[in-house]
Amino acid sequence: MTAGVVIIGMGNALLSDDGVGIAVAHAVAERLQHRTDLTVTELPAGGIRLMEAMAGYRRAVVVDAMLSGAAPGTVQRFDPRDFVTTKNTFSSHDTDFATAFDLGRLAGVPLPEQVSFWGVEAREFDLFGERFSDEVAAALPLAVNRIVAQIVEWEAAA
Amino acid sequence: MKRITIDPITRLEGHGRIDIFLDDQGRVENACFQIPELRGFEQFCVGRMAEEMPVITNRICGVCPEAHHLAASKALDNVFGAEPTSVAKKLRELLYMAFFVTDHTTHFYALGGPDFIVGPDAPPAERNILGVARKVGLEVAGEVIACRRRNHEIITFLGGRSIHPVAGVPGGWSRAITAEERTQIEAAASKNIEFARFSLSIFEKIVLKNPVYREMITSDTYLHRTYSMGTVDASNQANFYDGMIRVIDPQGREFLKYHPSAYREHIAERVEAWTYLKYPYLKGVGWKGLVDGVGSGVYTATPLSRLNVSEGMATPLANAEYQRMYEAFGCKKVTAARYEPIHHRMATHWARLIELLYASERMLELALDPEITSPETRNIPNPDRFTGEGVGSVEAPRGTLTHHYTTDERGVLTMVNMIVGTTNNYAAISMSIKRAAERLITSNAPDESILNRIEMAFRLYDPCFSCATHFLPGKMPLTVRLRDYQGATLREMRRKA
Repeated sequence: MTAGVVIIGMGNALLSDDGVGIAVAHAVAERLQHRTDLTVTELPAGGIRLMEAMAGYRRAVVVDAMLSGAAPGTVQRFDPRDFVTTKNTFSSHDTDFATAFDLGRLAGVPLPEQVSFWGVEAREFDLFGERFSDEVAAALPLAVNRIVAQIVEWEAAA
Repeated sequence: MKRITIDPITRLEGHGRIDIFLDDQGRVENACFQIPELRGFEQFCVGRMAEEMPVITNRICGVCPEAHHLAASKALDNVFGAEPTSVAKKLRELLYMAFFVTDHTTHFYALGGPDFIVGPDAPPAERNILGVARKVGLEVAGEVIACRRRNHEIITFLGGRSIHPVAGVPGGWSRAITAEERTQIEAAASKNIEFARFSLSIFEKIVLKNPVYREMITSDTYLHRTYSMGTVDASNQANFYDGMIRVIDPQGREFLKYHPSAYREHIAERVEAWTYLKYPYLKGVGWKGLVDGVGSGVYTATPLSRLNVSEGMATPLANAEYQRMYEAFGCKKVTAARYEPIHHRMATHWARLIELLYASERMLELALDPEITSPETRNIPNPDRFTGEGVGSVEAPRGTLTHHYTTDERGVLTMVNMIVGTTNNYAAISMSIKRAAERLITSNAPDESILNRIEMAFRLYDPCFSCATHFLPGKMPLTVRLRDYQGATLREMRRKA
């Protein structure tokens, strides 16, 4: 049995824009904590860890930095079906998210019915620091609004 | 010089790349990873209070935060001149054994195992943990997940937080465990032992009994006669949490034994013109390039090298498996308990499973230690013993990890230096890639096979570049380009995710 929503912020909060997923996850949780059964989780590495972080929840939202070549600050939603990877959802130490999800199914892990992935294009991702680049800082409220809207929509449809 | 580049397609994976350099005759001259390092870590730390390091450094890497947390805590013990209490050391080691079990289990079933269990030439879509489960039995998927879960739970309450532990403090550990928690740890450790033995039995049944895979392990494709490094306890047996650094030469003679704080006296770094990667090597031997032998300062710090330097294993079941492995390779004993070193790098996978069993047994020993629930988890630092400098070292699953800090008289950091596990093995990894490339690039083997054999060469080292670097192509989209002198592409091989 699964219940509630988990929002998973991926990345490293000490690595400039790589921490944007974590910041967005906390901001979304703050906006929704009074109306939804919402849990926020920080996660530095993907693969099997990411699958495990969703276990037990009915819905999961994953927010991560991405490096797709788009303009820094671009916010994009991915459907799990056509999803390849954002910056941290793949683990070089075990496997990609899709394989990890199938592994969880095989192992009988209670996994969410709905999962969505959000990417925020990073500019600075290999420099230690706790500040976002201007484009990413500007994109943060937009990403929060869109994810909040999505969760509200999910809840309404339920 | 011609160059073959394996570089991933997108900007994301473009951060890690393998270069293979050919000479004018088209022979492989050198091979290396090209991995840009993360920038600014030392500047990020300098000026902060030293006590922050265990919680900062454990965020460098999402793969082994526990190793960084403990190395940092041990460095702080020395900065503050505060020797941890006996139970504090045991609690740290206990957390570390639970971490080793999850890490080695995951590597075997998700990364290393697929090459053997599913097969090196199986399509990549099958050569993963799901393929392993289909071959070994679907219930193994549940076993792997259950193993991770029971050990992650223990790491969480022992370390005070999930994923990024916070319990390490100068002079000890910030929390004791209850009798109930101890019982849970004991039960988990017993299950870990069973699971480790099961994993070794799979290795025996599917790998060692299959002549093709046995040949893969014992062939000289990945054979390099280098020096071996590992941490040993007072009996010269492998220990992952604490001890002296022992180095043996390619014949198995002890070459060095030193306290981790003396690392700079024994390890130097070589810069080569064709890569910005720095290769650590043994100062006392010297750098001769990417070559093996007693005259080359190249060394490894891996599960296999840790067993090579160890006088048997400190726990009984692991020791029996240790003996079995060395005897299977026909190694003669060089001391009462130790054998000639194994240099066949594919045996690292076997050694990793023996370490998995050792970590499980050690975890049970610690859980059964009468002192383990003692509340005396910390010695409060005495300002008179403050030193302002400390080195902390542990064996990370992928090699010896060293943290070194200096501070001013207030404990504010003035210098931070680290040698992470994988860094030790840069030269050796490059040598294995080179060897794989030599055998393959002039052949007409299919692209997929070439890519995988090169990947197998680095996968056996279980490299983790998250902490020093950003990314490594694992089962990601890869492109291999063979380029001529002018840079024109002669052949391109591509794998999509």
